[in-house]
Amino acid sequence: MAWLVVRLAISLSLLYTASAVFEDQVGKFDWREQFVGKVRFALFDTHSQASKKLLVATDKNVFASLNSRTGDLFWRHVDKTGPEGHIDALLMYGQDAVVVVGNGRLLRSWETTVGGLKWEAVLDTGSFQAAALIGVQDFVKYVAVLKKSAISLHDLSSGSQIWVENLPDSDTVQYQTIYSGGNGLVFVLGFVPSSHIVIVEYKIEDGEIMKKKSVEAAWMSSLENSCAVISSGNLLCVDQITQSLYTLPLQSAEPTEMRTIHLQTLDLEVASGFQPVLTSTQPNPAQPPLAEFFLQLSPDHHILLQLKDDLIAPLRDFNPSYLAAFATSGEKTFAAVMTPKNDTACTINLFSADTGRRHLDTTIIYHMDPNGGKPNRLYVHAFLKKDDSVGYRVMVQTEDLTLTFLQQPGRVVWMREEALADVVTMEMVDLPLTGTQAELEGEFGKKADGLLPMVLKRLSSQFILLQAWMAHLWKLFYDARKPRSSVKNEVTIDTLSRDEFNLQKMMVMVTASGKLFGIDSKSGTVLWKQYLEDIQPNSIFKLIVQRTTAHFPHPPQCTLLIKNQDTGLGSLYVFNPIFGKKSHISVPALPRPVLQTLLLPVIDQDYAKVLLLIDDQYKVTAFPSTKNVLQQLQDTASSIFFYLVDSSQGKLSGFRLRMDLSTELIWEVVIPTEVQKIVAVKGKRANEHVHSQGRVMGDRSVLYKYLNPNLLAVITESTDIHQERSFVGIFLIDGVTGRIVHEAVQRKARGPVHFVHSENWLVYVYWNSKFRRNEFSVLELFEGAELYNSTVFSSLDRPHPPQVLQQSYIFPAPISTLEATLTEKGITSRHLLVGLPSGNILSLPKMFLDPRRPEMISEQSREENLIPYAPEMPIRTEWFINYNQTVSRVRGIYTAPSGLESTCLVVVYGLDIYQTRVFPSKQFDVLKDDYDYVLISSVLFGLFFATMISKRLAEVKLLNRAWR
Amino acid sequence: METRVGSRACACVALLLFALHACLGHEHIKLQEDEETSEDVKFRSPGEDVRVQVSGRALVPGVRTQDWISNARVLLDGDTHVGFIREDGGFSVSDVPSGSYVLEISSPTYRFQPVRVDITATGKMRARVVDYIRTAEVIRLPYPLQMRCIGRHSYFIPRETWIWSDFLMNPMVLMMVLPLLIVVLLPKVMNSSDPEMKREMEQSMNMLNSNQDLPDVSEIVTRFFSPPKSHGRAGGGARAHVGGAHGVRGGASNVRGGAPRRRSKINTAVTYSE
Repeated sequence: MAWLVVRLAISLSLLYTASAVFEDQVGKFDWREQFVGKVRFALFDTHSQASKKLLVATDKNVFASLNSRTGDLFWRHVDKTGPEGHIDALLMYGQDAVVVVGNGRLLRSWETTVGGLKWEAVLDTGSFQAAALIGVQDFVKYVAVLKKSAISLHDLSSGSQIWVENLPDSDTVQYQTIYSGGNGLVFVLGFVPSSHIVIVEYKIEDGEIMKKKSVEAAWMSSLENSCAVISSGNLLCVDQITQSLYTLPLQSAEPTEMRTIHLQTLDLEVASGFQPVLTSTQPNPAQPPLAEFFLQLSPDHHILLQLKDDLIAPLRDFNPSYLAAFATSGEKTFAAVMTPKNDTACTINLFSADTGRRHLDTTIIYHMDPNGGKPNRLYVHAFLKKDDSVGYRVMVQTEDLTLTFLQQPGRVVWMREEALADVVTMEMVDLPLTGTQAELEGEFGKKADGLLPMVLKRLSSQFILLQAWMAHLWKLFYDARKPRSSVKNEVTIDTLSRDEFNLQKMMVMVTASGKLFGIDSKSGTVLWKQYLEDIQPNSIFKLIVQRTTAHFPHPPQCTLLIKNQDTGLGSLYVFNPIFGKKSHISVPALPRPVLQTLLLPVIDQDYAKVLLLIDDQYKVTAFPSTKNVLQQLQDTASSIFFYLVDSSQGKLSGFRLRMDLSTELIWEVVIPTEVQKIVAVKGKRANEHVHSQGRVMGDRSVLYKYLNPNLLAVITESTDIHQERSFVGIFLIDGVTGRIVHEAVQRKARGPVHFVHSENWLVYVYWNSKFRRNEFSVLELFEGAELYNSTVFSSLDRPHPPQVLQQSYIFPAPISTLEATLTEKGITSRHLLVGLPSGNILSLPKMFLDPRRPEMISEQSREENLIPYAPEMPIRTEWFINYNQTVSRVRGIYTAPSGLESTCLVVVYGLDIYQTRVFPSKQFDVLKDDYDYVLISSVLFGLFFATMISKRLAEVKLLNRAWR
Repeated sequence: METRVGSRACACVALLLFALHACLGHEHIKLQEDEETSEDVKFRSPGEDVRVQVSGRALVPGVRTQDWISNARVLLDGDTHVGFIREDGGFSVSDVPSGSYVLEISSPTYRFQPVRVDITATGKMRARVVDYIRTAEVIRLPYPLQMRCIGRHSYFIPRETWIWSDFLMNPMVLMMVLPLLIVVLLPKVMNSSDPEMKREMEQSMNMLNSNQDLPDVSEIVTRFFSPPKSHGRAGGGARAHVGGAHGVRGGASNVRGGAPRRRSKINTAVTYSE
């Protein structure tokens, strides 16, 4: 019964705290972009002419179907992360696509029109080598999977295993390739390095070994790229050291030697140090491959060759050429080759594969992005037009993971920025003011130079404003006459300006591939992009906004610290976040590994905040390091503290800056690594504001918050992962003095711990291993009924420890990320944004995570508006801020304040990017969308007319009385 | 610092375990123990660890499977294990090590009840209802799993629309309008200057108060509050008082009804300003 009462009370209180999305707000201020990641396999559906499908499998373990006309997703399947979801191979036949997943563990067949799973088969363990479709008598019926020590054959329509056979001598022979020419036999090719090639021949019906032979090949180092099967079962290999081609008919009766063809006899030479690559094509798995093949001799030299009557003849030499690919349409096979045209453009041409003759009017010009990378993959979709001529489209993938889809004569049909599937960090920067706004601002900034000039200046700026307003009105009028669809406010980099509530901002995103993006937060349009070359794949990025747009005419400035994870060496990249241009400011060289960065509120004469970089010898580098800055640093050095974390030794240490920019150690906290390891350390966000100093209690007294800006939250996890003994530790440490303000241990708990540290509270989530559920815990710190020093907070002068309140709750779902909303002045109540693995973002009122929630309802708690304690946290789908626009694999949530106090901007990134606005206390400072103008005006007019009429009536009455 | 959840749930578990022991015998307890030991053997080498396939069927009544499966997934404990739904509605999640998992079907449109799946170290499986508070309570569900859609997700709340009837039936409005009507309209309807009318009214009054001996409640009240000389026009006065009292009483109850709402509004205002 009491339970029911509590539930009722909660649901009542929910009615007023819920900030849900209204249905008519869909798409009004939110948008989502879906990505797939770096494409590893791409296949065009050539089954029918009108098909628009493009199947891709990516390194993000995503298998998706794209619309080749628009670049949008038809459907997408996101498998689990890590090697268990890794896609090893993608094969397509008709309407079905077969995918090998998880190092050959699973075999899945997808129906490609709707994206439904047809069947799934679990294979034996063993590292995956190759997979191939096997055809018998012109029909493709089977799929064969080659593992390190076994080969298995599966039925294509049901997935059932036909047979599985162990490979002979698999411990010495490396089997790498399968080949079948549709004649009832499956060949498995393997080799022993620097010794010989092994060819095993299986019968398709029952897996019986028909023949096994080994051929001498002392030069052999790898089968995969340097060998190919061409033209009715001829194995062809190329070797760089001996500069030769080797051929061998697979079905020859007696074990022969491989025939050697010196490349010299063909007037060819492999570039030194380059591993040559052979590319053949087998348009139909039930028929032998073509006799034509590409040989790549150097990074930009391809040659099309043909094997005819045991002779190899060059068909066409492409020098220089970046990329080459085969494409088949109907019975014909074509070769597309990309050759450089000039520094900024490439041309792609189509050649007939069997003759090497160029098809007329098939040139596509591909313009390379000057801020992008080089093209590295080419996918071709060829088709026959009605008049039997050939047409084709190409998809080009570049180093910076841009997919460009082109059609003749070089029109870009669509473009996808797949680097955005892996956003590492981001910041939001205010947009600049327009020229007129800046003019007005400039008026106030300058020193007065007389009365009359100032009046004139004011008049002129007012005139400019009037002019702008007239232009705006004219535009409105002009647009109103045009149909709605054509009026689309295209955002370009030139029209960027701040809106009146500062709701539109520039999202600066840093991706793992080293490509930077500037995205308009209102529409999701990519406004600029910049590819940073020579970025190590496992680099750590930190993005710092040094100067915002508020200091006109100085341009805003962002600094990206790129740090190599292995060496720790870093470099700085300084750029303008609005236009993406690299700044020409001299950047300090960082010869030593960077341990910590610190953005100071100290500003140089150009209004750029000072960034301190601390290296492994505890030396400090300031950026910018002008005389002015150094002078300021010397003055304030005694109050600049910073901390370092060494999680391998479990050491936290605090330092103070000295006048000469050296440092001194002030404190050290050691958390023994044998028992627990430091997982995360987080301070508070520098840009957060706390509006109220305390909380008003039921008895009208005030409970003051402990608002220590230097507080660090340190989370540790036990090294012992046994369910009974594992724990999660929480330390609250003052970053200046090193004093441990609070310490808590959550027993029988383990990570991953997600936490938010803000104001006077810390919210963390852990896994309760005893009860197998996620639990939220909240810590709130209070000073008590009196403030020790109400004017300023000093870590050095705090005699009283804070009061700590804690409460825990069950969260009935797994969690992928946690973040809190942030608003301009901190008046609006806070919400926690919880990213769920299902892709929804839950907006959970902080009210539910209040350690003062009472177990028994009293008059005082009711007065304070506290919700009675309930162990289970509610999850309501109305609180999902992204309704059905789920975000796959949420990696981070970024929140930023807007110009409106009620509104917080939210960007969720992961595999997808989702941007929206949340109103934790509803929109109290602007009129609502559904504000009833009709009602209010009708009431006003009604009252107005009522007074008019009653006035008239009163006059008549008065007159009548006078006559009486 | 122990948390509150732990202790409370602990007591529940103990109670429930006892109850189970009493009615179901040893089987469940044994399962429970098995799970406990097998929970953390997740990362052992595959040779000695059992890995099983969890399978079942998902059904959305009245919707063709092709229409919803392309953006649905089967998730075990977040996305540590992922499965996809076949065109016949069946699904299977492979290579799941022993332990206890919550299996859910995530679909942006349709809602499914999650199910807890327990896998013992020997590979035995059972499905039960998810209960995060009484975690050891076992309410068994059929295995292979039968996941049935329990409706669509409701992501949106309806806008508050303005309707005339709502406005008119508002207690405050009623309270203002009704007395106004009585004040304005009653004197007009009852033309007190007509003597015939007056007599009729008095007659009907007498008929109403058929029992003359029993004093009218309102009359007692008026007598109590007013000086005794106003006894003359008791009938009409009493009637008016009855009406008035009704109005006030109605008003009072309305006020009572209205009060919580008003207060809660103030409360929300307080939370905003926090």
